[in-house]
Amino acid sequence: MTAELPGERPRAAGGGELAGLLAKVARGDEAAFAGVYDHFATVVYGLVRQVVRDPAQSEEVTQEVLLEVWRTASRFDPGAGSARSWLMTLAHRRAVDRVRSAQASAQREARAAVATTDYDVVVEEVETRLDAQRVRRCLESLTELQRESVTLAYYGGYTYREVAALLGVAVGTVKTRMRDGLIRLRDCLGTDS
Amino acid sequence: MRLRRTDPHTLAGAYALDALGEPDRENFERHLLGCEACRAEAASLRDAAGWLAEPAAAAPPARLREQVLAEAARTRQQPPPVRVTERVRRSWRGIGWRAPRLAVAVAGVGMLLALALGTLLINTQHQLRVQESHGGEIAAIMNAPDADMMTVHARTHGSATVVMSHAARALVLTTARLPALPSTECYQVWLMGAHPIKSAGRLPPPKQGMTAPMVVAGLAAGDRMGVTVEPAAGAASPSSPPVLMLALPAG
Repeated sequence: MTAELPGERPRAAGGGELAGLLAKVARGDEAAFAGVYDHFATVVYGLVRQVVRDPAQSEEVTQEVLLEVWRTASRFDPGAGSARSWLMTLAHRRAVDRVRSAQASAQREARAAVATTDYDVVVEEVETRLDAQRVRRCLESLTELQRESVTLAYYGGYTYREVAALLGVAVGTVKTRMRDGLIRLRDCLGTDS
Repeated sequence: MRLRRTDPHTLAGAYALDALGEPDRENFERHLLGCEACRAEAASLRDAAGWLAEPAAAAPPARLREQVLAEAARTRQQPPPVRVTERVRRSWRGIGWRAPRLAVAVAGVGMLLALALGTLLINTQHQLRVQESHGGEIAAIMNAPDADMMTVHARTHGSATVVMSHAARALVLTTARLPALPSTECYQVWLMGAHPIKSAGRLPPPKQGMTAPMVVAGLAAGDRMGVTVEPAAGAASPSSPPVLMLALPAG
């Protein structure tokens, strides 16, 4: 029943490491689940809070995400993508679902003004994290419009049509900037590691 | 409102960022089903997007750990998906009976449709919106000269109504009074035939017991359509026997 937890300080585990933990979690290994928590609660909660904003709701959503990992670990399909990508997709979708639900709609306008600036603040806080530095460096390689389109959607939870309205550019432009931006980010992260 | 046609390829980035609103996302996922290169691109962009969470990392309140672990300890886990094993395959064949078929003349389709879907389409705002966004596609199938209309009863209770056009290789599906599911599960639609079983997407959540019309495209001759209960996010292959099954007429 004991999972071999790495001795180092909790940080984002590599995809292989998480996949191994998930396989154990799928078999009901509670210690392995604690390992998933220790490695990923910080990044999941941080992402959820960035999108949802309200701390109490963010806690709720984080708990939902991690329990979904516990419940559905057996459904993770290594053939369809990395374990990390699976987990972050779960987290981001849940967060986005929460802000797009009707009850949250009233707060959306207030968030619009702060979406980009807050991102910078959060980045400062965690500058020591290696992966964060790498991602930030890669984000800087995007054009301004690519970066704004990507970060407003990802951290702000906005649809591409909303992003287009926020930036005052055509919907088609935002679509292509999101795709081009992610391609550039992907290539940068890939070659940089 | 006219259905807005956009080149689906360019939506891969917005999709990976969960930045597609409802009709857009559904259309794009349908596009992904038939495009392997697009699935690979979407997966790689999703992977890249996932790394954006790193700079946002922030420690949750310490109490959350114990809370989550305790909740997990008393939460039942889902079984692994059964990869189209003999058991599932047999049960799919077992229900492979033909639905009563009703060939309808062009002029009759509108009338029958009104009977089957009429209340559905005008019932709620949500359904109106769905109808509008898929209006062009739905109307094209309904008004096809070769449209067939079928109703099939589910194994448990409830039913599905299908209007199918052979020429368009597509059908419009609605359901009524299927057993309600918890938010963690959904109904997923599958096509089965000479090809490997493929997903046709998830049924939209029901409003007053009925689901808004859903377009299932890319039908092949001899296909059967099945509906299974799957986790809310959908499954890669059916993990349970279908709650309803329909052998599509050969045209």
